[in-house]
Amino acid sequence: MKKTINITAALASATCALLHPYASANDMLEGWKVDTSLMYYGETDRVTAVETVIAGQKDFGDERLFTGKIVIDTLTGASATGAVAQLTAQTVSRPSGQGSYTVNAGETPLDNTFKDTRVQVDGQWTQPWSDVSRITTGLHLSTEHDYYSLGFNGSYAHDFYNKNTTLSGGLAYSYDVIKPEGGLPVPFSTKTASTGYSEDYDDDGYIEEDGDDNYANDERSGSSDNKSTIDVLFGLTQVINRRMLMQFNLGVSQINGYSTDPYKVLSIVNDQGLTQSLVYENRPDSRIKTFAFWQTKYALDFGVADFSYRFATDDWKVDSHTFDSRLRINLSDSSYLQPHFRYYNQSAAEFFQPFLMEGQALPEFATADYRLGEMTAYTLGLKYGMELDNGDELSFRLEYYQQSPKNAGFTEPGTLKDVDLYPSVKAVIAQVNYRF
Amino acid sequence: MRHKILKISALLLLIQLAGCANLGVQPWERDLLAKDEMALDSEGNDLGLDDHIYFSKEGTSGGRAFAGGGCGCN
Amino acid sequence: MEIGLTNNEQAAFTMQHKSDHYCGRFYAMASPCELLIDTQDEKLAKQLTSIAQAEVIRIEKKFSRYRTDNLLHQINHSQGQSVIIDDETYRLLQFANTCFELSDGMFDLSSGVLRKAWNFNGSDQLPSPELVSSLLPRVGWQRLRFTSNELIMPADMELDFGGIGKEYAVDCVAKLCNQLAPKLSVVVNFGGDIQVTCPRKKDQSWHIGIESLQGEDLTAQLLHIKAGGLATSGDARRFLLKNGKRYSHILNPNTGYPVEDAPRSVTVAASHCIQAGLLATLALLQGPEAEQFLQNQNVQFWCYR
Repeated sequence: MKKTINITAALASATCALLHPYASANDMLEGWKVDTSLMYYGETDRVTAVETVIAGQKDFGDERLFTGKIVIDTLTGASATGAVAQLTAQTVSRPSGQGSYTVNAGETPLDNTFKDTRVQVDGQWTQPWSDVSRITTGLHLSTEHDYYSLGFNGSYAHDFYNKNTTLSGGLAYSYDVIKPEGGLPVPFSTKTASTGYSEDYDDDGYIEEDGDDNYANDERSGSSDNKSTIDVLFGLTQVINRRMLMQFNLGVSQINGYSTDPYKVLSIVNDQGLTQSLVYENRPDSRIKTFAFWQTKYALDFGVADFSYRFATDDWKVDSHTFDSRLRINLSDSSYLQPHFRYYNQSAAEFFQPFLMEGQALPEFATADYRLGEMTAYTLGLKYGMELDNGDELSFRLEYYQQSPKNAGFTEPGTLKDVDLYPSVKAVIAQVNYRF
Repeated sequence: MRHKILKISALLLLIQLAGCANLGVQPWERDLLAKDEMALDSEGNDLGLDDHIYFSKEGTSGGRAFAGGGCGCN
Repeated sequence: MEIGLTNNEQAAFTMQHKSDHYCGRFYAMASPCELLIDTQDEKLAKQLTSIAQAEVIRIEKKFSRYRTDNLLHQINHSQGQSVIIDDETYRLLQFANTCFELSDGMFDLSSGVLRKAWNFNGSDQLPSPELVSSLLPRVGWQRLRFTSNELIMPADMELDFGGIGKEYAVDCVAKLCNQLAPKLSVVVNFGGDIQVTCPRKKDQSWHIGIESLQGEDLTAQLLHIKAGGLATSGDARRFLLKNGKRYSHILNPNTGYPVEDAPRSVTVAASHCIQAGLLATLALLQGPEAEQFLQNQNVQFWCYR
């Protein structure tokens, strides 16, 4: 006998063939593990999203695994346009240029026609490459009325030291097409906005105006554009001891192409802080993001502690720190409670400006999108899960998410001092999971 | 100076990797690590939904896996 | 030990309520068989034990070489003619074939004919070299031909599933228990060949005593097991002693003689009982290198010399 050769693996697969003869020839519907979720995300006065996820995993034996996921989400409600609040009511045109709406005094202009349904399909195949390594390939598809994305990825993982250490490397490519309603706006072209006083507010605080009365002069530069993203990811997973597991990831992501949000604008204000006009934003057409991620999981006598930290930095100068922690507390053999806390902090992109000043030269790039401004956010949540008598798992999650944008050192002229340029966004996340 | 720091960090990384040989457990000590809730992706749907929320509401994304492109929510 | 199987077929099992589990016992395959069931539900415990007993009796009936009414008897008396085999037999043959290949011919289910020369009864009666060499040509797994539904074996050969039968039965019973009560921890223990179906509810270990030979003394070691398989292979009381030299009952099918310097007993832990059993047997076949062999397999083991 070849005395140095490890025959355990060969013996294990022979044992599997002996004891589970039909493992690979099973009916297609047999052996699926399915995880379904329904999530509600609601911001006060802004966006509401309902997202459904059906994820399935099928084991084809010999460590060959298929994972598939279908996501359907619907967004309704309003989102911030980037325009600043005013002491008087404002009229803002819709993205399509069809009709306009009025914003109450002191409120941040939102676009209330925001409604979209997105369908996403993912598929992933994993199989062994050798006794100690495996490869994974995946496909990603996402479509909504103004955005299409197609991506694929591949990765390789290699086990060392008795599978206590795993090194992995992966590459992903994604090609996105953006087809905004009403076409692509020309950067810094004027979007119709008029200030005025209005008396007949409807319940939502918006006044509908007929599209015909709107003398939109939005300039459009075409109907669609695209962007491509290349991701490189390196990972190290390490078993520390019988209770502890760690993961380190390093990643670089390069985006080339249209990265501007076609619906976002900036207010041009005068010395008194009064909005003179709204112009479309413009972002660089390339971005290189780098991140480091560390996660550790620890098996406690009564549950599991999970902690992660991520540092991300990019050439737009958005640096962020994210701390995420979950503590699973087993209440009994079949139920658990899991508090969740997340803290997020980011610096502003170098071209972020809450508004533009009248009479000053236009910058090359500018955005007033608060998501690229300085901000702190935290999430507080609680999850309750229970295993049912038939072995299925049912769980509920309720979370509170608050974003607090901050002034990254901009001085506000005139009346802008009296309005809240950095309003907080508060959201509730409610979710039900069923796993069978 | 920068070179030196690079060299030192490379060395530290090597030492840590070599240290990995001494970390870890024997196959029969995996009882706790083998539990479903100890898998790094044990709450796949939660993590996926979270990633999507934060991708569309914040300036950075990714970390656990590919940051990717994927949807027009940002 | 020869078994009066027909008498045992109808024998009832016994059920005992222990502090935190039920223990069902019956006798089959020339061994005491035991099920430790992590439940307080007596009805469930009885149901599992009775299913286990039926499964063991089924396997024993089908593959025992002491019966004249089964498939194995048919194979061993086929006189070189083709015999129709079923799927289960085919899978066992495939498994045995893998083991034969992995062991470079040391694990051979046709080596049972050598017992015509060797009678390991603790005496000093060694067989004559002529007898051993006359039997050697009758050993040879590679001369067997089989497909998924038929087997052709030369007339002078004999098959014996003794080397894997009990471990296979343990795994089959564990599988049945797992199907019937998916998350219930059950210890299937057939004469020291053990499978624990899954961890216990409160994550405690099962404490199981394993008898092994330490020198000339039988010692019991208490093991803590949460899940997985365990098997012991050794010469216990089966050996020959001549001029101070001990001949273990592990025969090398290539020479026809016992493997020299083999450990007295080897216990191996693996994910399945049959895997553990095979690794223990293969380790014994390594003689003096048994420990080295097991170390290379990355499994937990206990060797006694």
